[in-house]
Amino acid sequence: MRPKNERSRSIRRRLFGLLLLPSVLVLAAGTLSDYLTAVTPFRQAYDQSLIDGALALAANVRMNADNKPALTLPPEAVAILRADSSDSIYYRVSDSTGALIAGDANLPEAPRSGVNPSRADAHYLDEPIRVVSYRTYTNAGMLTISVAETTHKRDGVRTAILSSSLVVDLLELGIVLAVIGFGTRLALAPLREVQEQIAQRSARDLAPLPLDQVPVEIRSIVGTLNRLFNTVSASATAQRRFLESAAHQLRTPLTGIQAQLELMVEDEAEAPKQQRLTLMLDAARRLAHTTQQLLTLARSDEAANLRWELEDVSLAIIVENTVADRVAAADRAGIDLGAEICPATVKGVGWLLNEAVGNLANNAIAHSPAGAQVTVRCGVEREVPFVEVTDAGVGIPPEERERVFERFVRGSNARGVGSGLGLSIVREVAQLHGATVEVEAGPNGKGTSVTLRFPVLSELLQPAYASTASASSAGARKT
Amino acid sequence: MRALVVEDDPLVGDAVRRALTAGGYAADHVTSAEAAKSALHTENFDLLIVDVGLPKEDGMQFVRSLRARGKVVPVLMLTARDGLTDRVTALDLGADDYLTKPFQVPELLARCRALIRRANAVANPLITFGGLQFDLARKEASANGQKLELTHREWSILECLVLNAGHIVSKEKLLSSIANWDDDISPNAIEVYVSRLRTKLGQAVLIRAVRGMGYRIDEVTPHAPEK
Repeated sequence: MRPKNERSRSIRRRLFGLLLLPSVLVLAAGTLSDYLTAVTPFRQAYDQSLIDGALALAANVRMNADNKPALTLPPEAVAILRADSSDSIYYRVSDSTGALIAGDANLPEAPRSGVNPSRADAHYLDEPIRVVSYRTYTNAGMLTISVAETTHKRDGVRTAILSSSLVVDLLELGIVLAVIGFGTRLALAPLREVQEQIAQRSARDLAPLPLDQVPVEIRSIVGTLNRLFNTVSASATAQRRFLESAAHQLRTPLTGIQAQLELMVEDEAEAPKQQRLTLMLDAARRLAHTTQQLLTLARSDEAANLRWELEDVSLAIIVENTVADRVAAADRAGIDLGAEICPATVKGVGWLLNEAVGNLANNAIAHSPAGAQVTVRCGVEREVPFVEVTDAGVGIPPEERERVFERFVRGSNARGVGSGLGLSIVREVAQLHGATVEVEAGPNGKGTSVTLRFPVLSELLQPAYASTASASSAGARKT
Repeated sequence: MRALVVEDDPLVGDAVRRALTAGGYAADHVTSAEAAKSALHTENFDLLIVDVGLPKEDGMQFVRSLRARGKVVPVLMLTARDGLTDRVTALDLGADDYLTKPFQVPELLARCRALIRRANAVANPLITFGGLQFDLARKEASANGQKLELTHREWSILECLVLNAGHIVSKEKLLSSIANWDDDISPNAIEVYVSRLRTKLGQAVLIRAVRGMGYRIDEVTPHAPEK
């Protein structure tokens, strides 16, 4: 059931409606003219038999002994004249004064007209009749001979003609409607194709629609759409360049400040300022960390909005990188950091996955007590590729498990300094990859286990996306 | 050991130069690929540290032309850009290692040491690693001056770990370093060899097991507390 306003906006319905009224009118006019053409000859024929009757009567009016006109028709002849299977026949003969000479006294006459005999429709004895009046001049003056009959036969014929032409024309109308319906559907098929093309593409697909197969009527719409795609794509490219250069512009000075402070903290000549330098170094590191997180968020937003090329990414390599990069940090915290690696491949953006899994590992290390195990594992479970980070730390209370993924929100158990962006990055990266994020308590109900489950590879490789992806790879980004 | 820092940012360049100096290198700092080329013309360096984002000729091009001219000096690249693609590109172009900004000074120094150690392994078979002296040519090792009695397989494992110091070496890789094609050794056997090695090495170096991934050899240097 579609809402009403959507119905009225359907081009098919409009076309149908617009074509329906004229074709009904044309068919109605056709029916009428068919009817009239068919009815006139019958009418003529019936009228003619009345006229014949009137003439026959006229021939039998004679002067009687009083020199008055009188009908000299034997009763048998009158009976023949009046004989009819379905209609009653009436006649009347009157003189120039209108006085009755013979026949039915109150039968109305057809008024005079240009032709003689004149014809008219009238009523007699509460019935519609057709009357023919013949005026003839005799020695006794003008005589008016009228013959009339009820209209049962005529009505019967008319109904028969009308109903047969109606049946034919209704059939015609039905066929025309079916043709219109089928025709509009057929004519609008290209529109539906374009619609399907747009509907099938991924939200990040900004490649222009092919114009060559689009009908002229909607080419301008598709052209405008393509221009819009181009504009969005261009502004996105500009944004990507901006973010790349922002990353560079922010990281380089931060690296300088951080490295200089690290050297100064170690420098014995700076011993009196040690405490302040340590605080500054700490701040510089936090700043660098938050900058990194914000850049990652901005770029994962961007990756989500744009058609970033998804590549085959080995989760095993991601996990290896994650663990290898953090062995030293885990050592310092006294954490037993380990991996459980089974081969698993997903479609994705490698460095974003690296950041996401890295954030999970950082959290796990930061929130686990010395001596605890932190394990990063990946693999495929019932065809679903997954990566999971498990710790035995403070855990996240169940009621906070949804909220901690919001930006700048830190759990009530969170330790140390953090930007509150780490888990929101995880969620955004997961969404970008069509993955789900699940937070549970770790083994034995202690600590936290965060699992990213990715779409089954075959599901992700939809033909529509795969074909457009290969077409656009020529313009792929270079980092 | 001479190192050349090619970095256009004065603060970063200065910090890297100071860090290298503090780490025992003679370090020079230039701010462009051009200046680096003329420095390389006149002097020999044991290590180059090159920023990717140099003005005019960028770091990637510089390293490519360096390799094209047959220079084999180890190169560590620095970049402010993220992305695994960059890392792969840099390594493909002939860089030996790759470090993302912001980095920490100890990490930088560890990478530099590893690069030089690997580069010198061919020319100079004598490697010093923490408290470990390692003679690749004579297949002899001593820990804190005491000669170690190592079996052939233990030696191979230690050699593999030392040459990949700073990196995690998988059990499979260690296995292939000791096993001939026809040998049938289970990965668990590696644990036995490593445990024997640990006993023999004592406190000279640390062989750390990374659960699920393999082993990594570290110099035993007390970590500066970071936070």
